[in-house]
Amino acid sequence: MKCGLAIGLNLVLCLSLVLISSSCKKKTLSMARPPAPPIPSVGDRPGTTKSAPTIKVSASPSTIERGNQTTLSWTSTGANSILIDGGIGNVAETGSLVLSPGESITYTAIAKGSASDTRSSTRVTVVARRDGSVVSSDLEGLQRAIAEGKVRPVFFQYDLANLSPEGKRILTENARWISQYPTAVAIIEGHCDERGTEEYNLALGDRRALAARDYLLEVGVAAGQLEALSFGEERPFSACHEESCWKQNRRAHFVVKR
Amino acid sequence: MKFPIVSLTALILSFGLLTAQSPDVVIYPKPREATRLAATNFVARSVSTPHTETAAKVFNDVLWADLKFSAFFEMPSKSFYPLKLLRSPLDVDFDPWQAAPVDVDFLVFGNLEAETAGVVVEAYLYDVKTKGQVLGKRYSVGDSTLVRKIAHQFADQIVYQLSAGSSRGIASTQIAFSSLKGDSKEVYIADYDGSNSRTVTANGGINKFPGWSPDNAELAFITILSGKSRWELWIQNLQGGRRVLPMPTSYVSSPSFSSDGKQIVFSGRDKGSSNPDIFAADTAGENRTNLSSHRAIDTSPTWSPTSRQVAFISDRSGTPQVWVVDSDGSNLQRLVTEGGHCDSPDWSPDGRLIAYSWQAPKRWDHDVYVVEVASKKIFQLTSGRGSKENPHWSPDGRHITFQGTRTGTKQIFIMNADGENLKQITAYGINEGPAWSGYFDQP
Repeated sequence: MKCGLAIGLNLVLCLSLVLISSSCKKKTLSMARPPAPPIPSVGDRPGTTKSAPTIKVSASPSTIERGNQTTLSWTSTGANSILIDGGIGNVAETGSLVLSPGESITYTAIAKGSASDTRSSTRVTVVARRDGSVVSSDLEGLQRAIAEGKVRPVFFQYDLANLSPEGKRILTENARWISQYPTAVAIIEGHCDERGTEEYNLALGDRRALAARDYLLEVGVAAGQLEALSFGEERPFSACHEESCWKQNRRAHFVVKR
Repeated sequence: MKFPIVSLTALILSFGLLTAQSPDVVIYPKPREATRLAATNFVARSVSTPHTETAAKVFNDVLWADLKFSAFFEMPSKSFYPLKLLRSPLDVDFDPWQAAPVDVDFLVFGNLEAETAGVVVEAYLYDVKTKGQVLGKRYSVGDSTLVRKIAHQFADQIVYQLSAGSSRGIASTQIAFSSLKGDSKEVYIADYDGSNSRTVTANGGINKFPGWSPDNAELAFITILSGKSRWELWIQNLQGGRRVLPMPTSYVSSPSFSSDGKQIVFSGRDKGSSNPDIFAADTAGENRTNLSSHRAIDTSPTWSPTSRQVAFISDRSGTPQVWVVDSDGSNLQRLVTEGGHCDSPDWSPDGRLIAYSWQAPKRWDHDVYVVEVASKKIFQLTSGRGSKENPHWSPDGRHITFQGTRTGTKQIFIMNADGENLKQITAYGINEGPAWSGYFDQP
């Protein structure tokens, strides 16, 4: 479902969404973690091409808390080349890698022989951190995504808390980035322009923040990653008293929870 | 007394017969025939010293301003007064005070003596026609800076006596408000005339929408501390100590105490809800009841003086309007049907009127209006430059405080409940969200 929707939008989006979607694991590639440099393949060797190759892949531990590491190990015989998906690529016939996947993932290793291929899979289950702690690389990652304008604010019409089509498009992209840093929490601040009264605006800002939050939940961001908070008209971004500033101030704005 | 800044020894010497009519407390608080009052300058009791001169100037200015602002009296200009100084009852010749252009019903005079160690004031109110004494008081305090407080107290006594108890006087009341300090907004309290302002909070966060407990011992307000991602509802005891009421989400706003002090009403949001509703709870924040439950913005609640009803703002009809609901959530009705944007309703102490701010359709600024609850008729109280918001009644229902931007920034104003006698009481920075205390002193 998510994958189909994403393909409808564009291919890049789809490729990144499959990373967070266990139902689309066949073509898993990573946007966040560039593929490891290719390791020279095993190559053809006489006497290995007649029978089917063997491959055995395992992860230890197979269940990790988010942000922790697991070691992926594999051994093979009789293969011309070994490919492991999940953004790993071609590897040597025997080896291991230390990984820290953000979400639960199944790694599949394919041993390619002359006549046939053999596959072996192992599942790494990623669970929430028991102490609820945040992984600092997630915090920095989300911070950077906001600073670099990858996570962007959405803007509202006067006295309204409805999302525009443009706002929904921005939030869909924001969702992708926020989900990449699964232990970080994004605070969605609802802001209003100075027109209108303080009490009403504090309530209106709450609705704006909630509109953005609810949409992010709809497109798959984990509820634990989002907090809504209204500032009403207390923290304007632009100070002039005309529409050019007001439109800047009617927004749902993203900051990282520290 | 809940506000032990001053300990007064007041000696009531004797009472005269009251002849003043008690004016009706109506929105336009003018009796058919106003009581005419002269308030002469208090003079040094014996030898005039710089201390006494300074204290006398403060006392005379404050007493005059208090009596004038009370809206009970017509006060002919001091320039018409007979020249003879009145130090004690022995000095008074009543005849010229009954003649035009002064022609007053009552006469205030007295004397004072100030030293570094303290001040003594003897204060009198006389009925000019009967030549009888209505009030004779002696105030003695050990700190001459409290001369203001004495003037307020005597003004309240005069109002109480001459209004036949319909008002206890507002001169000793206070106004709480929120004031911008750098990036933060702190809650302040000042005397009703803006003097003696002092800070209640100093937490560096945003502190807004203060509301007094009925005994004036506590202020409820909302706070967001720097770096936190939720608004909190605080109840701060003015003698020290506070409690933070538990809230399920990051949003809470506009707390208001019930008249018995046992309940609080506020705008909040439940977990899983996407819109603010009106909640009543006890003052520990427990036993929450949702009074509004609607997919609209519901905020700015205020109790009726009987605590049987709550008025609030809802935009369920399209734009924010004044609605009223029983305190059990039943009998919801729309009170203001004029369109535009309403906010910040505040119920008058006698229960007849609700003051609120209204931005008429296609208008830019808000003005202060009142709606008569029974008839749903509305009256405009303010006009002119700037936006006027957050109205709040004085405890005698004869005055309203609000924030206005006529000077370019938000400042606190007070006025008669008919819109006259407008007076700005803050001048510096940005000051907003005023809330008038109850009475402080027993009559």
